[in-house]
Amino acid sequence: MLVDSITSNDHYHEELVLKPLATGHLYAHFQFTTYWHVDIANKDAFKHFNLFPKPLGQILSRYDVEELHFSLTQGLWRHNWWGYPILSSPPGAELSVWFAANMSQSIDSAWSGLTNALSGLFCASLNFIDSTTTVSPAWSFRPEGASKKNLNSSRLRYAVLTRETICTENLTPWKKLLPCDAKAGLSVLFHSLALYNVNYHSMGVHVRPFCKTKDCKSSGVELKQTLSLVFNPIIHSGSRDWNLENLFSKAIPSVCPLATTSKIFVDISNNKTYGGFLLKPLPHSLAPVKPTNPDFYAVYDLNRIDFDKPYASHGFNLAMEWLKLEKYGRGLNPPLDTHRYATGLGDENGGIRTRIYNHDERDINILYMEVVPWFFRLYLHTFEVLCSRKRAQNVLLNRRFIPGKDRSRPYLLELALRLPAKSSTTIKIDFQRAFLKWTEHPPDAHHGFYISSAVITTVLLNDANTTVPPLMASNRNHDKEVITRLYTEALLVTLPTPDFSMPFIVICLTSTVVAIAFGSIHNLTTRQYQLKNIEDIKKQSIFNRLISLVLPFKKK
Amino acid sequence: MAAKCSYRLFKLYFIIALVLITSSYAIESQEQFFKRGHTNNWAVLVCTSRYWFNYRHIANTLSIYRSVKRLGIPDSQIILMLADDVACDPRNSKSGTVYNNANQQINVYGDDIEVDYRGYEVTVENLVRVLTGRLPDSVPRSKRLLTDERSNVLVYMTGHGGNGFLKFQDAEEISDVELANAFEQMWQKRRYHEIFFAIDTCQAASMLEKFYSPNILGVASSHVGEDSHSHHHDPEIGVAVIDSWTYYTLSYLERVKPTSKDKMHYLLQSFDRSLVMSTTKIRTDLYKRDLTKVPITDFFGSVRNIEIVNVSVSVDGSKELR
Repeated sequence: MLVDSITSNDHYHEELVLKPLATGHLYAHFQFTTYWHVDIANKDAFKHFNLFPKPLGQILSRYDVEELHFSLTQGLWRHNWWGYPILSSPPGAELSVWFAANMSQSIDSAWSGLTNALSGLFCASLNFIDSTTTVSPAWSFRPEGASKKNLNSSRLRYAVLTRETICTENLTPWKKLLPCDAKAGLSVLFHSLALYNVNYHSMGVHVRPFCKTKDCKSSGVELKQTLSLVFNPIIHSGSRDWNLENLFSKAIPSVCPLATTSKIFVDISNNKTYGGFLLKPLPHSLAPVKPTNPDFYAVYDLNRIDFDKPYASHGFNLAMEWLKLEKYGRGLNPPLDTHRYATGLGDENGGIRTRIYNHDERDINILYMEVVPWFFRLYLHTFEVLCSRKRAQNVLLNRRFIPGKDRSRPYLLELALRLPAKSSTTIKIDFQRAFLKWTEHPPDAHHGFYISSAVITTVLLNDANTTVPPLMASNRNHDKEVITRLYTEALLVTLPTPDFSMPFIVICLTSTVVAIAFGSIHNLTTRQYQLKNIEDIKKQSIFNRLISLVLPFKKK
Repeated sequence: MAAKCSYRLFKLYFIIALVLITSSYAIESQEQFFKRGHTNNWAVLVCTSRYWFNYRHIANTLSIYRSVKRLGIPDSQIILMLADDVACDPRNSKSGTVYNNANQQINVYGDDIEVDYRGYEVTVENLVRVLTGRLPDSVPRSKRLLTDERSNVLVYMTGHGGNGFLKFQDAEEISDVELANAFEQMWQKRRYHEIFFAIDTCQAASMLEKFYSPNILGVASSHVGEDSHSHHHDPEIGVAVIDSWTYYTLSYLERVKPTSKDKMHYLLQSFDRSLVMSTTKIRTDLYKRDLTKVPITDFFGSVRNIEIVNVSVSVDGSKELR
């Protein structure tokens, strides 16, 4: 009875979405969702854990977190090739947290404690997040979960560490948060040899409250662990054909017994477009991509597969075989696309240019956010928005600029833009490079310094390029509109670096100079010169003469 | 009557004597049990070199990491510091792997690794803070060396060094005196029972010379004035994959099992100068135990003392609890 009441309190879902991309790549998105029917603010409930991971739960409760989004990404999502991902994330580590409305501690101390705790949990250097990297954007981010009183952006903390690498040591603790670890179910596929030899790799942890009822009077906690990969099967096998075993070097041997649902979705919407393919084995069912759309997902339900059967001797393997010779295009033109780059010569001045393309027939409203470290001093007078449509007016709707402070606060630029139909818009701003102190440089200062990705947030009406299977446990559309986020390229800019060996050269040089100068000057200043009578010397015996030659100052 | 009385007395004395003997034996064996030394094992494994061409230093450290994990020290008791990420470096043609041999048999990065300090976090300050326990409150448990006076600590360091120093990330260095003082601070704070300090770097012996705290067993890959060399390089990866001294340490450790009775003495005597290409320096004057009796697993493993005693030992802790 007691066990029943505890177990029914939370449930867990495993999902994998596979989508062949137009460029011949394959997009694989793993999603592990745990629902827990307790209020995230209820500290007593966060003492007994069942499916929800305890290490994370304790951290959330300790630091009064209401919503948390954390991602570690290697590689850049190519929008113009691959469309939009199910979940966007910038290169490096991104952490955005909404803190609870009534906290027992200050938000800043909770934020620094949280980043340290997460750095220990995920083996990432998140402890480098401090006031110089943290911002509270007012426009670009909204709580994704059911939060009512939390719309004040002062409760939001956002930071990106672009330099952060992602590797097995990050995935290891992430895997251990899953109820089945990597021992059963979809997570068995996580084999480090396969996961990092990819075009794009992004690992995420997303926590948000959700409404249990329509009126949203009581809420629960949703934990979503995601892993997105973009494979290039052409490099490995020479064709677009793939199967789970050659992608992950393993088939799925079992289903996670703790998972309520365990499904694989394969996007078959472009089956006709690129020559057609076969799926082996045949799916259990088909699900429409959208109610109005004729396209379908092939759905495999792992719970319906009998893993004991000899047919699955070494597990469930899913294969896609293309019928015709490969023909893959240069990708699709998504409605919104961006390109960002740094300009400027030399070590003094530079600039950031962001080009945003609107390929749609309609105007698109976007929110743009740029966070720049304090050592790139932005000059607001150089800020400019240029549109390829010369006659377009009111492209810039609104602007929010918070200047940085040396060694304590980054520059934050938020813009609201209306991009005219079929246009490209360029955002220009220039910066001056600051001098860092000798000790402020990292050990590899010559590598350069990163400016994190700019964030473009929009609501796309024509979201044919976004792919969220409607059957997935965690849909994004808590609010009816689908928010799409685009992250631009991160920038690597060099700063003037000192000659780090200079102090040693100075030491060598000064000691040489001192040695030469000191010797002769000391000699000159301490020696006494006296007149001597030669006759007296002549009178001396040979022995005394020798003595006086060796010891000229010997008193007589 | 008198005889009966004396018999009773004798019986009483006998019982008292018996109780005394057994209790003293119990206390003695209890003490003996705990006197055996350590109750827990920790490892601090430090690679101080950044950049791709120092691949071998990371492979060195990871090889030792793999060995101590295999011999039983859990991740929670290993502080692993890697100054660079070569496994997922774009120059690594086999992403997610680090190999310590050109045969590429063992991926020392594995599928289950937890790096506690990585990249820029590997600094002299952090190392000294970890050793001495002087970390801010916010630092999580996984980044702390939570040792006590019953901990055996294995400290392994590798990188580029010289006479009396070891470079960190090409930007700063720890000196022999600083390290010796850190160990002394650990001793005074009762943060270790015994330390086994191993270092693979050029002129490594210079790092041992300044130690003055008790119970430190030190071993260095080379004498002062001598270089430590890399062992071999992998044409596919394009860089040297392991250092000589660590290579031969590993070739010995690979034979050790968690249950084996191998002694430290044989490990330390196993280094052949003609193979290692440098002279191994061993410092034992601070270490009181006989090395021929110290099992390797006292430092590289996590073997608990289990001794079966024939007498029943009373562990009535009610008095102490009150």
